[in-house]
Amino acid sequence: MLVLRTLAAGPLHGYAISRRIKQCSANVLDVEEGSLYPALNRMLLKGWLRAEWGISDTNRKARFYRLTKDGEKQLAAEAEEFKKLITAIQLVMKTA
Amino acid sequence: MSFLPVQYLKELWLRLRWLSGRSRFHSELGDEIAFHMESRADELEQSGLPRAEALLVARREFGSRLKAAEDTSGAWQIRWLEDLLSDLRYAARAFRRNPAFAATAVFCLALGIGANTTIFNITTSFLFSEPSCRDSASLISISEGGNSSSPLADYKFLKDANVFAGMAGINFEREVNWRQGDSTRRFYAGMVTDDFFSTLDIPFHLGRGIAQGETDTAVLSERIWRSVFGADPAILGHKIILDSRVYTIAGILPENHRSVAGFGISPEVYVPVIHDDEYVQFYARLPKGMNAGVARERLRSIFAQIDAIRPKQDWKRADQVTVTGVTGFDMLNQQMPGAVTAFFLMLLIVVGLVLLLACTNVASLLLARASSRSHELTIRLSLGASRQRIIRHLLAESLLLSMLGALAGLALNLACARLLKNLVLPIPAPLRVVVLPDWRLMLYSLGIVFLSALLCGLLPALRAVRKDVNTALKQEERHTARTWNLRSLLVAGQIAVSIVLLAAGFLFLHNLLRATAMNPGFNISHTLWAYMRLVPDQYKDAGQAKQTSLIHTVLDRIRALPGVESAAVTARVPLNDNCVDEIGVRTDLSATLVPVRYQCNDVGADFFRTLSIPVLSGREFSSTDRRGAQAVTVVNESFAREVFGNINPVGHTLTLDFNGAKTRLVVGVVGDSKYFTLSEKQQLAVYEPYFSKDEPVNVKFVVRTVSSPAAYVKAISDEMGRLDSSAAVEIKPMSEGLGLALLPSRAAAVMLGTMGLLALTLASIGLYGVLLYSVSRRTREIGLRMALGATQSDVLRIVLRHSLALVGSGVATGLVLAFFAMRPLAFFLVPGISALDSTAFLAVIAVLGAVALVATLAPALRAVRVDPMVALRYE
Repeated sequence: MLVLRTLAAGPLHGYAISRRIKQCSANVLDVEEGSLYPALNRMLLKGWLRAEWGISDTNRKARFYRLTKDGEKQLAAEAEEFKKLITAIQLVMKTA
Repeated sequence: MSFLPVQYLKELWLRLRWLSGRSRFHSELGDEIAFHMESRADELEQSGLPRAEALLVARREFGSRLKAAEDTSGAWQIRWLEDLLSDLRYAARAFRRNPAFAATAVFCLALGIGANTTIFNITTSFLFSEPSCRDSASLISISEGGNSSSPLADYKFLKDANVFAGMAGINFEREVNWRQGDSTRRFYAGMVTDDFFSTLDIPFHLGRGIAQGETDTAVLSERIWRSVFGADPAILGHKIILDSRVYTIAGILPENHRSVAGFGISPEVYVPVIHDDEYVQFYARLPKGMNAGVARERLRSIFAQIDAIRPKQDWKRADQVTVTGVTGFDMLNQQMPGAVTAFFLMLLIVVGLVLLLACTNVASLLLARASSRSHELTIRLSLGASRQRIIRHLLAESLLLSMLGALAGLALNLACARLLKNLVLPIPAPLRVVVLPDWRLMLYSLGIVFLSALLCGLLPALRAVRKDVNTALKQEERHTARTWNLRSLLVAGQIAVSIVLLAAGFLFLHNLLRATAMNPGFNISHTLWAYMRLVPDQYKDAGQAKQTSLIHTVLDRIRALPGVESAAVTARVPLNDNCVDEIGVRTDLSATLVPVRYQCNDVGADFFRTLSIPVLSGREFSSTDRRGAQAVTVVNESFAREVFGNINPVGHTLTLDFNGAKTRLVVGVVGDSKYFTLSEKQQLAVYEPYFSKDEPVNVKFVVRTVSSPAAYVKAISDEMGRLDSSAAVEIKPMSEGLGLALLPSRAAAVMLGTMGLLALTLASIGLYGVLLYSVSRRTREIGLRMALGATQSDVLRIVLRHSLALVGSGVATGLVLAFFAMRPLAFFLVPGISALDSTAFLAVIAVLGAVALVATLAPALRAVRVDPMVALRYE
């Protein structure tokens, strides 16, 4: 979900994704590199992402990932699901 | 995440695409990871670290690159498929190193699989042929009153009732005379209604079908087009003369046309129905939404209407209305005699056994291989390969073998099908089975491949991993004199099964010899039959007299030929035509009705003398026995005994219990003979005078000659041609005309004989393999024995004893099996041959013994040549 959300703003390459997540979460969430690429490829397989080669801002060849229509739908669905879960947890924390 | 099949298929497609571009993927992934680390390093460098250190930190942070790459590609992989492919590659490499082993195994499997697919192909093509037409599933075959064909008038009535989306009528059993120049030959014709081709929507090779309202167009089969008209592409529009009428050729059917009648029935030409008194089989196309049950109800009420308008005396059309499909089991159950289906079933069982033999051979080869490879396998096991993985790997080997075997087997199958295409069965019917590879064959072959892979591979694979790693690693297993291992059991089993198959083969061979040599109760060596088909239109209007006088003239001319002893006209030639009646008979001796089933024939004067059937009492027919004279009959010996008991029937009367039957005077009793098949049980027979009935346009004569009958064929044919040039004439010595009667015995002998030989080949390969292997494993033991003073004959004895034990136990088991398995075969045999035919068993044992000796020879010689020094040094 986090990866999908990061890509919602526009296509990014793998390194940028991990950096963005780290920054946005104020260094709390650190995506481990070892599991980032397998995850990206699983999402490619599901058809949520598309990948293409481009030139990075450091002028190197990099692979950019872009969200597809299916990916947007998936993101919306997961965000909805997550919101429900958080609300439920908060409810429990408040009342119990 | 959705579990929709579409999603699944999309993923599968992506995975497969990934599989094909795997190497690119890996290099791209490498680039990507490199980029990742460099970007990180850039960042670290900016924060002050030197470049080299920054790179190191980046690499450390990333962790194992290899693991990341593996996990990433893991997301895409179809694990089992890739494993399978790599197993197959590995197996292929192993076989390339050991081509003799692979070739033997593939050869065995090719025989087994080839035999299986061929018989399966023939069986499905013959029993379940799919007619060449549009949407055969919506076609039905209709019969009224339990009759296979019905008058054209009923067809028209049904068509006018407009129940179906289309109707088609055909009479498959017609013949026409084709006249070209001075010669005339007979074609098997399908006589069709003018809506036949349009309703069935039959595809054409050239031209079109017979169209609505046409009475003078004809359609040719590809076979006739090729053989008679030289495959002339400009044939359409040409005129041909059939039965003295001129037809225009409208179309040529494709080579692989299968008629709607199924079972290989394929007329040579199709012509339109002309006369209203024709009988046709009814076919109809069901409209959308109507099923067979509804159709049957509708038909019943329509046939009841016809019954009301044109009642039949003895039966009602609406009584037995059947509606059957034109494909599959529905048609099979309705229209095929059980014996034929049983024959094919038996063949399938037999080829199944042959495949089993082939698989045991390969299993035994694989066992040998596995035990000589046990070292390799145990090392792999001890290095941590799972047992499952090794089993899978070994099964991949047998899968590869059986795939190769299936390929070779299919090639064999295609070759057989080509041979079969040119085979003309000696049957007086247009029977040609189109045998083509189809989806059923492909499915079946695929099934066979996996089945045989399991049969061959499972046992060796399981055994290979059963051993304890520790003991196996310590020392290569030392082979002892333990002879009864699994392979020996397999070979003994093989010998047993091949005994059964061989015994069946020999039984049918013996059966064929007996059938060929059997005395059918009449003379075959000096007789011939002449068949004269007259054009109906030329005799119909002139009344019966014209035909009667022609027959008398023909008989006079034939009898006048030098060398002809006698000649007679007959409605049916024995062992070629069949006519069975089942009815109650009454005699003047008692009032009770005796139910009998008998063969009927209408014969002219001199028939019994011509065929040398002895007249035991009374007389045979003479020229005065004809229409208008007193009704007389001649019966055979069995009939006389059955109906009259010990009383001589001559001078007594006989009444057959059907409407309008006259009481006839029995004037003679003749000897028993065979009537339709050689294997038939002795049948009762009733003969009536030829000229006491309406005469058919197919006139048949039997002729007795002084010397070899073949020499008279031309003279008789010329005489007949001179008398009526429009008649199609066919003449054959009687001995050649027995093809039909011998067909079941021949087919069975050829098929089972071949299978028996196949089985023997496979079993002897198995025996040879086992003995050779055991000798090579026992080289050390033999060397030791020889060093300790054993002579060559002692060594020979060891090998022979082993071989004898295998063959002996196999033969014993096989004989017991055969004893039970052969009993049902009695169904197919001529009388006088028992299913437990001792000659067949003795022959089998002799042949098997000889083959076993040959298979033992090479291993035995190798054992004798073992040099004790070499063998011991090996230790």
